[in-house]
Amino acid sequence: MGDPKRSGVDLSRRGFLKSAGGLAAGGALGESTLAVANSGLLGDGVERLSGEVEIELTLNGAKRKVKVEPRTTLLSALRERVEPSLSGTKEVCDMGSCGACTVHVDQKPAYACLLLAVDCVGKSITTIEGLAKGDELHPVQKAFCEHDALMCGFCTPGFVMALSACLDVEPEATLDELKEACAGNVCRCGTYPHIFEAAVAAQRAKQGAKR
Amino acid sequence: MSALDPRAQDAAQPDTKPGKKKILVPRVENGHETMVEIEVDDAEGSGRPQWGPRDALRLVNHELVRVDAVDKVTGCARYTHDVRLPGMLYARFLGCPIAHAEVTVDVAAAKKVPGVVEARVVRDGEVKFLGQPVAVVAAKTREALEDGLRAIVLGIKPLPFAVTREQSLAANAPEVNRRGNASKPNEEGDPAAVAKAFEGCAAVIEATYEVPIQHHACLETHGAVVDVPTNDSATVYHSTQATYASANEFKGPLKVKEVEVVNEHMGGGFGSKFEAGVEGRVASELARDLKAPIHLMLSRRDEFLCAGNRSGCVQTVKLGGDVQGKLVAMQSSIDRLGGLGGGSHAGLPYIYEVATSVRTMRSVYTHLDANRAMRAPGHPQASFGMESALDELAYALGVDLVEIRKRNVGDVHRRQLDRVAREIGWNEHPHKSKPDLSDATTKVGIGFGLSVWGGGGHPECRVTVEISPDGGVRASVGSQDLGTGVRTYVTAIVAEELGLSMSGVTARIGRTSYGPANASGGSMTSASLAPAVKHAAFNARKAFAESLAKTLKSDASEIVFDVQGVYDARSKRRLAWKDACATLGPAGISATGEWQAHLASNGIHGVQSAKVRVDTRTGKLEVLKMVCMQDCGLVLNRTGARSQIFGGMVQALSYALFEQRVVEPDLGIAMNANFEDYKLAASLEIPEMVAILDDEDTRGVIGVAEATVVPGHSAIANAVHNACGVRLRSLPLNPDKLLLGLAGLKKG
Repeated sequence: MGDPKRSGVDLSRRGFLKSAGGLAAGGALGESTLAVANSGLLGDGVERLSGEVEIELTLNGAKRKVKVEPRTTLLSALRERVEPSLSGTKEVCDMGSCGACTVHVDQKPAYACLLLAVDCVGKSITTIEGLAKGDELHPVQKAFCEHDALMCGFCTPGFVMALSACLDVEPEATLDELKEACAGNVCRCGTYPHIFEAAVAAQRAKQGAKR
Repeated sequence: MSALDPRAQDAAQPDTKPGKKKILVPRVENGHETMVEIEVDDAEGSGRPQWGPRDALRLVNHELVRVDAVDKVTGCARYTHDVRLPGMLYARFLGCPIAHAEVTVDVAAAKKVPGVVEARVVRDGEVKFLGQPVAVVAAKTREALEDGLRAIVLGIKPLPFAVTREQSLAANAPEVNRRGNASKPNEEGDPAAVAKAFEGCAAVIEATYEVPIQHHACLETHGAVVDVPTNDSATVYHSTQATYASANEFKGPLKVKEVEVVNEHMGGGFGSKFEAGVEGRVASELARDLKAPIHLMLSRRDEFLCAGNRSGCVQTVKLGGDVQGKLVAMQSSIDRLGGLGGGSHAGLPYIYEVATSVRTMRSVYTHLDANRAMRAPGHPQASFGMESALDELAYALGVDLVEIRKRNVGDVHRRQLDRVAREIGWNEHPHKSKPDLSDATTKVGIGFGLSVWGGGGHPECRVTVEISPDGGVRASVGSQDLGTGVRTYVTAIVAEELGLSMSGVTARIGRTSYGPANASGGSMTSASLAPAVKHAAFNARKAFAESLAKTLKSDASEIVFDVQGVYDARSKRRLAWKDACATLGPAGISATGEWQAHLASNGIHGVQSAKVRVDTRTGKLEVLKMVCMQDCGLVLNRTGARSQIFGGMVQALSYALFEQRVVEPDLGIAMNANFEDYKLAASLEIPEMVAILDDEDTRGVIGVAEATVVPGHSAIANAVHNACGVRLRSLPLNPDKLLLGLAGLKKG
């Protein structure tokens, strides 16, 4: 399985065009994905442009092999292709408008629905499942529990990832900066006042831990 | 009881005095044991559970941490969308892109796409609403699914459509509803008496108020994961507000006798998720026919177009009052706009007392999906018409905006108005009966709005509480949790009754087999469920006490369960909880509970206020502060109740400022069926918010959710007028509308 040449999938350009190009959006999709697939991610100089390829993602500190198509988003890879599924990262808008799929890519917050999985090879990806250190919750996770900063909980992983990314880099962040940090996240239950309370509490907890 | 009659709700239900007795119990404080006298239920005397005095409660009515919070912040909570079964296929719909058409569906090409397992016609022929599902594809991967959906060929013959009220009512309008595009108006009241009453009024205003169609916008879309049925049973994972009832809906399409619906967590419902829907039916048929588990969750676009909405309305109001601001006469006509559905409106004069009134109401149908229940169905619409008109009348009469409200409502609302007015800064506010018409470029205004909701409970739930010989306690409840914190209050009620900590009880919820349960609608889950949980825990405690009394040769009424374990007042023996449980036989204790009318009540009241800042140069409108006071009977979890109140206020703010379904009227296509173009309020729009729980309310459990969403947008619109003299009579309150209004003021 490790060697894509022996994985039995059709990796030729023709195969890619056959499977996707004959369909309405295939042509437009082609340019960006081809470029990615051509960028020698697998390091052996073989041109592989279609079907499924096996890549290795660094997910929550562990190397995980996953079969994806060039067009597979990181969100789809996490939720539908990694085994067992990392479904804590939520699919809500699938177009970068709601923040529910926020993960950390090399410590920076990113919408997993706007990233191609193949683009994430070699990068360190942290999902909500990997934020706690063992049983010890991240200060943002802890504060969300204590301040009831969640109701249905579907947006919660995204908010927690957005705020933790901010506080990990900016432990001095003010309330306004914390609000900016999660301005791309939507909570339909409307838990915001408690989310802000939790964000400030997490900021203080981080400060306290530093001293 | 009518949800609209505040007087009926103000009549507090008599609190049944429980049979109580006093006993001495040892308490250990700082290592010293002292005997203290406590009051306990006299099991023989009362024979039924009581919430007990509030100051004696240890868990219930306190600030609780949700028992499933850790699961939710670590991504472990499993929603329907997250269910993964071996061999599972992903399925999705293709919707009709226009509002009204004759459609042919060709799935042949889709079936040939690699990875696609099945493509089917869901509907052909006449398609009656924008976005109606016409085909479905099931595939091994999401990518193949997308390819398959793109490969479907639709033959579309556009038919004349009506997507707006005006189009539907036009002389040559296409037929939307066989019995007419508008329903027969329903009239209440005596027009002649009202016409006469207007003559005696000190001031009369007349205006038309409009609200657009709003979307539920549940973050988890509608849908189900249907496992392969066996000969006579099946398991369905369903994002539903009615776990127990929805099982029946799946039996037909699955052709099985028993269905277990599982719903551990759900990503919002807000009234839109009571039914299995076309998605549940089609997923079931596919699972049955393909013998593979089917994951069919609506796409975000489908969610916007075919999963219900809050109906819009156009309401014309004429309102008159006397010099003191007492409401004398009202005439209103209301058009509900619920697409193919009838729409929803709570009626006018809503919650205010008007001496003489007449009202006509009808539905106007369009080629859009039918409205569904949405958090306080019909009330936010009625609130906007009534509170706006009342404000306009107050200014016409020169009466204080708080005073005019107090003169036309009952005691509870009056008390809440005073408290909310104090909190928002009304007493210091300079513009109490006239808007600020100065030349200032930034201006601050305050507005108010009131709410009612019925809430209350029903005898639908059966709850089981089990105590095992190893000390474990488990409560099983069929009900689902929409996000209100059901697991948490179930745990708290049982732990309270048995003298345990929260961690001593495990609550299992959201499965058909856990027992009959109510659908979560009408803010009735907690008032239906909590009394049944209390009853089950009470019965478990009684059974445990009887068992222990036999073992200890004591009397059940002498056995006390408290935080230090179990105490037998007769032998003065104390047992640790685990040791007491060890005396139970291998079967342990299993007790059930049902709804107890005396532990619930109904009738929710609320008052909200908003403070806004308006920039008269740009039309920018900023909500600075919102205050809500809410009575809801016994609050089960104070933190969770405040979360729900904030949630209602935020949704109303979002409705006030942003939300609106936009359909292009000439093309009949959706313009904002996604989260990029359908704007929801988010962190940068959230003002300072204050939620006050009305602790003067001593009733049993009532519920809270719906009332909190009713008046916020009305208060914001009223605050805008108070700030600058511009009355915005249609939502959302856009800067462009505000600038037009300001330009109109300048012209005079």
